[in-house]
Amino acid sequence: MNHTVIIAQRVLIQLKGDRRFLMLYFIAPVLIIYFLKLLIDTLPHFVPVVSIAMPICAFIVHFLSFILCAILLVQERTRGTLERMMIAGYSKTSIIGGYTLGYFGLATFQSLIAFSESIWLFHLNYSFGTILFMFIVIWLLSVVSVMLGIFISTFAKHEAHVLPFIPLIIFPSVFLTGLIIDSDKLPLWAELIGDCLPIHYAINILKEIMHVDYQVVNTLADFVILIGYIFGLLFLASFTLRETE
Amino acid sequence: MNAIEITNLSKQYGKILAINHMDLVVPEGMIYGIVGSNGAGKSTLIKALVGSLRPTSGAARVLGLDPLNEKWELRKQIGYMPQSPALYDDLTARENILFFGKAQSINELGKRTDEILEFTELSARASDKVGTFSGGMKKRVSLCCAMVHNPKILFLDEPTAAIDPHLKILLWRLFRKLAQSGVTIFLSTHQMDEVLLCDKVTIMSNGEILATDTPQKLIGLGKSRLTLTVNGIEKSTTIGSTSQNLASELQKSGFDPKISSVAIQTESIEEIILSIMNQREEEIKR
Ligand SMILES: Nc1ncnc2c1ncn2[C@@H]1O[C@H](COP(=O)(O)OP(=O)(O)O)[C@@H](O)[C@H]1O
Ligand SMILES: [Mg+2]
Repeated sequence: MNHTVIIAQRVLIQLKGDRRFLMLYFIAPVLIIYFLKLLIDTLPHFVPVVSIAMPICAFIVHFLSFILCAILLVQERTRGTLERMMIAGYSKTSIIGGYTLGYFGLATFQSLIAFSESIWLFHLNYSFGTILFMFIVIWLLSVVSVMLGIFISTFAKHEAHVLPFIPLIIFPSVFLTGLIIDSDKLPLWAELIGDCLPIHYAINILKEIMHVDYQVVNTLADFVILIGYIFGLLFLASFTLRETE
Repeated sequence: MNAIEITNLSKQYGKILAINHMDLVVPEGMIYGIVGSNGAGKSTLIKALVGSLRPTSGAARVLGLDPLNEKWELRKQIGYMPQSPALYDDLTARENILFFGKAQSINELGKRTDEILEFTELSARASDKVGTFSGGMKKRVSLCCAMVHNPKILFLDEPTAAIDPHLKILLWRLFRKLAQSGVTIFLSTHQMDEVLLCDKVTIMSNGEILATDTPQKLIGLGKSRLTLTVNGIEKSTTIGSTSQNLASELQKSGFDPKISSVAIQTESIEEIILSIMNQREEEIKR
């Protein structure tokens, strides 16, 4: 447990020292949401702004956490620090835990920024309870993203190997999961692909939460699946993150 | 007890046999060198000993422990400096050392860190980011990370590669000090002159051991070329390189007053090692 905290701390110190990372992680979402606002302003009024703002926040947090976590871990492998950590005496469990905890902290801060900006720009007015609930969903999704990042990083030998995953995540996430297009209106095969992506379930919950008569039970299945993704990916990552060549 | 015992160890990477049925024993408390050119299998051997790769067959014991099955016990007692610096560029030298040090429970880690920074002459730059360091400084930080927890054995993979001669001397002085304090140092190098600084060396090529000996014995394997000028005429002979060889060769001529000069050209350690390697190449060809 202690080791987990030490690794999380190190990840944070390391990222704090990296300007490009900070720009990408905190400034990029702010800009993306602002451009989104400009885009939405040009659209006819019947487009339901309110229903896509939060899902888009969730997507940004999901995508950036995933990519940056994967890249950082691939970097650790290519530089040899991953091997060194293990021989110094850190266990695989504490490495996965440390990364999750570190990015969890970052994702919290990032979603707080993206969240506040959307609420302000799009004049959303949610009750405190709703906001808290949305936050919990985005948190869960960010943990899934880190797990996915750890898992994917084990297949990449260089940082560049992470690049193909960018479109692979972006396009299905944007078009097939109900983010901007209602997934019920898609052909079955496309809907099924969308159903495989964890963000689909987060978006489901976020859309439900906005309804006045929302109750947790309505989205219990989505919650369970989201949490299932965390454990499933954790299980896979602990197998693929190898200690020995 | 021996620090390291290797029996019949092999590691296969696809078609490449990186370590070929190797046997080796390293006693405690000495500086033991593995010498070989690039691709000889030095890094692979060290990785097998620190437990970062699984041998294809055979066994290794480090301090009597199995590097894979008893890794937690072993990791407390060994330090590993990989061939590449393996440091976090965005962390300071001190932060890097503290981070790797925290993996083990060390009394007064902060004080220990200051000590080894001092020992490696890095104190002045301790709070600078490693990303701004030169190659030689990174090597020293990397050494600090390997030794912060006072290990009994240090595995150093090419610790002196690509650094200037001045720093090389400094590092060797550090290794000698560590060895004197009882630490076993197992290091690899492709610079053959460094053989002379080790207590014992193994010459490796293509995953095989070509020779294991003390540097003095290896030097003794070399030939010397003795040139006498008798009555103004040069006469050369090839003799062994011990001082006895020289004496008996000179005795033959009874040190004739007509001899006006004596020149002796001994083989360097590089030449001796290269001829051992060439000899093996010839054997393989046949
Ligand atoms: N991960 C790996 N995959 C495939 N081949 C490898 C791997 N690591 C090392 N080798 C091969 O094993 C041989 C020995 O490599 P290495 O131990 O790095 O040599 P050295 O450290 O003496 O330069 C080389 O032929 C190298 O190409
Ligand atoms: Mg090597």
